[in-house]
Formats: sequence, C-alpha cells, structure tokens
Amino acid sequence: MKLRSLFAVAAGMLMSAAAAAETFTFTAIPDADESRLNARFGKVADYLSEQLGVEVKYIPVKSYPAAITAFRNDQVQLAWFGGLSGVQARALVDGSEAIAQGYEDQFFKTYIIAHTSTGIEASDELPEDIKGKTFTFGSKGSTSGRLMPEFFIRDTFNAAPDELFSRVGFSGDHSRTIAQVQSGVYQVGAVNYSVWDTEVEEGKIDTDKVKVVWTTPTYPDYQWTIRGDVDARYGEGFKEKVRDVLLNMKDEDLLASFPRKSFVPASNDDYAPIERTGKAIGLLD
Amino acid sequence: MGIKIHAVSTGARYRNLSLWFALVAFLSLFFADIFLYQPDPWEEFGRIGWGMITPFWPDADELLMSALHTVSFALLGVAVSAALGVLLAIWFHWRIVRVFSAVIRSVHEIFWGLLFMQVFGLSALTGLLAITIPFAGIFAKVFSDIFHQQSSATVDTLSGSSRLSRFFYAWIPQAWPAMRSYIRYRFECALRSSAILGFIGLPTLGFHLETAFRQGDYSEAAAVFWVFLILIGTVRFWFYKKLLLAYLLGALFLLPEMPPVNASFVWQFFTQDLWPGSLLNGDIAGALRWYGNVLADEVGPALIQTIAITQAALVLSGVLALAWYPFASRWLVGRYYWLGRFKLLVLRSVPELMLAYLFMLLFGPSALPAIFALALHNGGLIAFLLANHSQDSCAQQRQDSPVGLARYFYQDLPQRYPAFLALLFYRWEVIMRESAMMGVLGIATLGFYVDSAFEEIRFDKAFFLILVAAALNVIVDSLSRRLRKAAGLKTPRM
Amino acid sequence: MTPVESMFQLTGASFSHDNEPVLHDITLAIGEGEKVALVGPSGAGKSTLLSLLWRQHPDAIALCPQDSGLVDLLSTYQNIYMGGLSRFSTFYNLINLIRPWAARREEVADLARTLGIEDKLQNSPDQLSGGQRQRVALGRALYRQQSVFMGDEPVSSLDPEQGEQLLKHVLDQHMTAVVAIHSPELALRYFDRIIALKNGRVYGDWQATEVDLSVLETVYQDA
Repeated sequence: MKLRSLFAVAAGMLMSAAAAAETFTFTAIPDADESRLNARFGKVADYLSEQLGVEVKYIPVKSYPAAITAFRNDQVQLAWFGGLSGVQARALVDGSEAIAQGYEDQFFKTYIIAHTSTGIEASDELPEDIKGKTFTFGSKGSTSGRLMPEFFIRDTFNAAPDELFSRVGFSGDHSRTIAQVQSGVYQVGAVNYSVWDTEVEEGKIDTDKVKVVWTTPTYPDYQWTIRGDVDARYGEGFKEKVRDVLLNMKDEDLLASFPRKSFVPASNDDYAPIERTGKAIGLLD
Repeated sequence: MGIKIHAVSTGARYRNLSLWFALVAFLSLFFADIFLYQPDPWEEFGRIGWGMITPFWPDADELLMSALHTVSFALLGVAVSAALGVLLAIWFHWRIVRVFSAVIRSVHEIFWGLLFMQVFGLSALTGLLAITIPFAGIFAKVFSDIFHQQSSATVDTLSGSSRLSRFFYAWIPQAWPAMRSYIRYRFECALRSSAILGFIGLPTLGFHLETAFRQGDYSEAAAVFWVFLILIGTVRFWFYKKLLLAYLLGALFLLPEMPPVNASFVWQFFTQDLWPGSLLNGDIAGALRWYGNVLADEVGPALIQTIAITQAALVLSGVLALAWYPFASRWLVGRYYWLGRFKLLVLRSVPELMLAYLFMLLFGPSALPAIFALALHNGGLIAFLLANHSQDSCAQQRQDSPVGLARYFYQDLPQRYPAFLALLFYRWEVIMRESAMMGVLGIATLGFYVDSAFEEIRFDKAFFLILVAAALNVIVDSLSRRLRKAAGLKTPRM
Repeated sequence: MTPVESMFQLTGASFSHDNEPVLHDITLAIGEGEKVALVGPSGAGKSTLLSLLWRQHPDAIALCPQDSGLVDLLSTYQNIYMGGLSRFSTFYNLINLIRPWAARREEVADLARTLGIEDKLQNSPDQLSGGQRQRVALGRALYRQQSVFMGDEPVSSLDPEQGEQLLKHVLDQHMTAVVAIHSPELALRYFDRIIALKNGRVYGDWQATEVDLSVLETVYQDA
C-alpha cells in the first residue's frame, strides 16, 4: 500500500514536471571555445525569447553525444548540431528537421595541419608525407574534425587511418587539436577551418610551429535542428517562427557565438552526403 | 580455491609477493602501448605554470555555485550510499549481495554518469546516482570488513535475536568509530568524484576546470583548481557533524533543477537501447555474432592495454608511496613534514585525467602518461595514509629508536609494510577502474571503446563494454581479497 | 659506599602522564659501576623512572624496554643487528639490510648462541614464542655494546632457570645496570643496590647486603 502511494507521488511529480515544461530549451554542441558558454548563449536565449514570446533557456553540454541525448530525451527542443551529430539526432527523433544552417556551412571545409618539424609542405593534394606520422582528429563525433577528414584520407590513400598513421588520437575538440599539434604531442591533425581562422586572427597560434598543409573539398556542416512536435506544443506555426527568427538574427555579437556571418535556410536533404559518408566509414548504421 | 604463499619468515613472504608483482609489472611494459615521443611542451608548460600562480575567475558567483553543487552532490551521495552500504553489509554473508556490491562498485562514476545521462539528462539525479551507486558498493565491502574486525563478545550475548537487531544493537554501535572515520574519508573521495563528474557536463567544479583547461585558459583553470584544493583541504574546518542535518537539507535545496524526464524514454533505454538489434529481434545467432565481433575487435585489445597499464601503475604507485610517505611523517622528517603533506594533498586531489593530460604534453600520446598519472595520484593517496599511520605510531615506538635513514629502513618501513601492501591491494581494483577510464583520453583501454560507443550513439555496445569492465573489476577484487588473505594482511585503516 | 661521581641524578623529580601523576618527588643518584634493581608492585612507576633515567645518557645505554619493539618484518638477525646501528655508517647499515655482512653475521650468531636462539636467526620475531622474543630483545641490547644496561623486566617471560642465567650474563657484560625486576629473590642475589618504588614514591633504597626478603615483601603489601 505504502509503496503504491510512493509510486503515485513519484509519477505525479514526473507529470507535473512535464506539464511545467512550457520553456523552450536549446543547446549547442561544444566544439571550440567553451568558456563562458552560459554568458554567450544566454544572450542568444534572450534574443530568441524576446522574438518568440516564450521563455527560452540554454543548457550547456560537454560532449556531442550529450547534446544528441538531450535532444532525443526532449530536454532540449532545438539544437545547434554539427553535420554528423545532426544526422544522428534526427535519426533518433521522428519528424525532427534541419531548419537553418550557417552561411559558411554550405561550403564548410577542414584543414589538415602539421607541426613544422615534420617538414611537410602545403600542397593541393593531400601530402604523401603524412603517412607514418602521429595524427589527431578532434572529437570522435565531429564532422569537420573526424568524419570528413577521415573520409578524404581513406579516399586518397585507400587505407584506414589506423593503418596509415603510426598513432591516431582524438583530442576532443578543435582548439585542443591545434594546441596538441602546436606542442608536438601529435605531428598532424584535422581541424575545423573556421576555428583555425578565428584563432589565427586572435593571435593564439604560433604559425612558426604549426601550419595548414591541405584543405579538404567543401561539404555541408553545422545546422539548427528542431523537434517535430514543437508546433503541437508551442502553437501552430512555431517551427516556422523559429526558422524566421534564426534567419533574421543580424546582431554580430550574437552571431559571433557560433561564429557565423548569418544563417540561411536548410533542409534534411542537404545532409544526405554526410549521412552517406557516415555509413561508408561505419560511424552510422 | 585458496592461494598459498610459502616462505620462511613474514618478511620473506611479503618480499616474494612484492617481487612477483614487480615482475608482472615489468612484463606488462612490453604489452602496454608505450612509446616515447619528443614533443615540444615547454611553451605550454610555461603557460600552465604562469596560470597556476595567476589564478583568475571573471564571475565569482558562477564559481561559488559550482563549488556548492560539488559539495551538495558529495554530501547527499555519501549520506545515501552510506545508509545503503550498511544494509548491504548486514547481508554481506550472502554471495548474491557480495556479487551485487562488487558489480555496482566496479563501474567507474564517469561511466555510471554517462549511462544515466542518457536517461535523466544533465540532471541532479544523474549526478547523485553516479556517486551513490558505486559508493554504496564500496561502503558495503568496507563496512563488512569493519564488522568482522569487531570482537564478537557483545554479539554473543544477543544470540537468538534477529540478524537485524543484532546488527543495530551490537555490531554497528561497536564499529561506529571506525565507520565514522571511513565515511569521513569517503566524503573527500566523493568531493573528488563529484568534481570529476563535471567533466561530462554536470554543473560541478570539474565542468569549469575541464573547459578552462581544454581551452588553454590556465589562469581560469588554476582558479577552479585552487578552489577545489582549498575545499578538500579544509573539510575539517567547515564540516561540523552537529550540523549534518542542516547541511543535507541545504544540499537538497542547492541541487540543480531537474529537467523533465520522459518515462517512455527511460523504458526504451533499458529495454531497447542497451541491447543489440539482433537480440531484440530474437535473432540469437546474429546477437552472438555481434557480441563475438565486439569481443574480438575491441574487448581483446582493450583488455590487454587495461591490464598492462593497471599492473604497471599499481607497482609504480607502490614505489612512489614508499618513497614519499616518510617526508610527510613528523616522526621521520621532523618539523618540515607539512611540506610533504601539502605535496601529497595536491597529488591526491588533482584528478587523474588532468595529470594524464599534463604528462601527455611531456611524453606524447601513449600508455605512459596514463601510467604516470595513475601512479602519482594513487601513490600520493597511499603515501598520505601511510604517513598518518607512521605519525600515529610515534607514541608506541621505543625511546631509543634508530635515527636518520636507519629509522626509516630498519624500523618504520618494515612496520608500515603490511598496511602498505593491504592498501595497495585495496587500490588495485580502483586503479583498474581508473585505467579503463583513462581510455577517454585516447589510450586504447576499455574506456576508449566505451567513449567511442557513446559518441557513435551505440548504447548497446557501450553497455556491453561497461559490463566487461565490471567483470574484470570483480575478478581483480576477488583476486586481491584472496591474496590479502593468503598473505595474512588485515584490512587497512583509512 | 658512596659513588665518587653519580652517573644518574634525580632531585625532587615528578612526572605525570596525561595529567595523571606517576612519580612524586623522586631524589636519587646512581653512580658508575652500580648494579641497581628496581622493585615494586605494578603501576608503582618503575618504567617511567627508567625512561627518565634513560634520557640522561641516551647514547651510552643499552636499553631493553618492556615492550620489546621488535620489528616483525625483519629477521631475528636484523633485529639484533639494530642494536649496533649507531656504530656503523648509514651506507653500511643499508647494505647490511640487503645482504648481511659476514663479520656482523658471525658476531650476531655468537650472541644468539649465548641466548639459545642460534637456529632462529632467519625467522621473523612474529614466528617466535614470547620467551624467544625476549631473548631477541636482550640480544639487541647486548649488541649495543655499551657499559650501561637498562632493562624493564628483561627476563620475565623466560623460565626461572634460563632467566637467572641470562640475567647474570647481562649483568656481567655491563659495568652499570638499572633493572626493573619482579622477583625480590633475583634482586637480592644479583644486585648491589635495591630501590623500591610504591605509589610513585621511593619506598626504600638499600644496599643489597642491608635487607632481606621479609623487608622486600612489605613493598608488595597493601599500605
């Protein structure tokens, strides 16, 4: 008897928590500058809240899968995903949709960087000399730090990274990839071009020690993905409203959080090449 | 099956046992993925060093809140797990309870955290469960050991009463001082675990520490690190046991708010996500093939790395502990002992993952940084406990004890050695758990594959790998117990 | 017979242990060459008095305390050798720990033969009987090779005959001795001077020739 009432109370609590979830919550994958996420994305939340007329909250996550899980478990309804994580997330949530991408994400690219002591020279082809070196990707689930560079490396040399390099690591994120190649922990690495360019601009990179040796062809990357059931929960046309608000985000201060020039429309189909690549490499079933 | 160790004298027995472990550790070096690179770390080290002496944090409220969250998780986690631990310890004579306790403590907090995060998200519940579950298993084991050390006289007078009343009237009151001091020690461990859970996203100090460190903002990392160190170093000044209830209520109040949990996802997670698709479709042959592939491709190589790193780190921890503890014992080095104590406090407080990262800058990516990090951390921890033992023994030592190095080698070291071995065996399973976890750094231990499986959203594989890690730990735990018994080692005092 | 020069000197000494007074107003002097027995019921303060006296010449005394302080992880040989640590360099001592020096091994073996434990040198003390452990402790004191011996019930665990024999040997090896001893007979037979303690005070201080058993027995009677 007692046990049953305990369950009833617990269930009641869960239900009331669900009912109170009028707040619209979003997250963003942590891929580069993770400092003061709350401050930076808090401003984005304020903007969205003001424009959408609902309470908007941002929750910070530590990893790509954490962002995907939060999206799947409905703890966030909107997320700024990478190409691959977006595909993974949409596969888990029926009806979810990519609604906008960064202007730059239509033709995203990866830099292969190398420590200068390796003597590898920049070239138009993926340099042969990277064979036998130590190599680091970014996060295991990153599109620009893992999926696409691995795809191009396999494509060029017809071999898996394990076979090609003397050691393969995963630094965890793009900034760390740069730091590790610069300090010589790894000799070669793959990094998101936008993170590299930003850090060069900010003077954080010692270009005597590390340099870009190859640039991949372009591919689609980051995008905003929204759950399919938002119209039912936040009112008819809510999804379109979110898309418009994102596309009309013009404040440079807000855009710098991503960092993107502006947002442009996107659809699930834009990411079909990513899905194919993921399957080819075995990261997707 | 019992293990027998033959030797003339007690000393020779311990020496032989130690030499066997050293030999295994030496052989492990050939299996571990060890390679010495020559990176160029000095610029980075310079920045880290400068950061350490120029701590800075832009937002004091944020730092305070995460410190409070760290304490809240630890307090509630220890309170609940100690209570559960007592209950488990009472029925510890049942094999099923022993196995259950061994299994729940064999999974690292980080892995529990990653699992629960899939269900409860980044919520207070995830953090609490990640601490409470493994700690309950640890408390069960240690409490049961403590109960067994009590004299049975009081209990005999109560024969005929129920097991539960015997425990609450005799065993627990008798064992309470030992239990209390262990709970206090465990609270410090919980603070560390709670902070480390920040690495996977919970709002504790580790969240900011990891971020700042990863970003190379070493001044900010140092600010978090010093706050954490002060928090741990001053527990006895801010923790008043009379106010325990108030603290617990405060902790409950301070927990981060709980995002909604969708019951159907919880259900789906446990009934579907954790199992390979072929098994759910009833395709037993396919499921076996799937498990076979994971075993051959990932578990096999990962096991070799995990075990090799563990054995090497275990012995190196022991060597460091013996080399360091005298410098933290007033009886051995005189009044400058606090310097040694401070060093050990720092070493045992720095999360192993962070140490490993520092060593990676120094030695490049291989098993070496993991071994050093584990050895420094665990060596520091064991040394700290040994230094306490050494200092406490001072009153019982002969007036005419030898001085200088002879005091250490002829008297204190041989006297500490049994406790040292017991502590080291106790740490064995912990080191195993941690070296599995080191995989998240990219060293191919079990944790590497667990981490990859989570990244690829393949929970079935992650779950299976965690089970393998757990099984490995259960085996090591039982081996350690048998060895301790065969060597006649008592349960160490923490 | 008044000693020309007193080696140990206490004047009005008192001592407390955890705020519990153990010794009151003790005044005594012990000269070089004296063999002194301390007698008295347990709790009279004999051990505390010994420890106070020890502090006056720590480097010149071969001590054999009641809690023998044997190191269970070291062999009997090493436990005896420990008495000689201060005679050798640290380096020499450390080598000895790994591989005993032949000359020292012989010395210790000779000593062990006198003590009747020559076959136990490889064993560790935790494998020995109480009597054997006491002999190891005596061995350590003898290996100190000092002229003053200070013992606290050094032969209490031995059978009477062996105990007497070893006590005699120890007294022969040292010029001066202060020994707490429970047997008035042994005290009378082997010592020059007998100091009786009772309730932390000096109850009597006699030359052995001045007293007999009946007087000593009063020390143990309730006041």
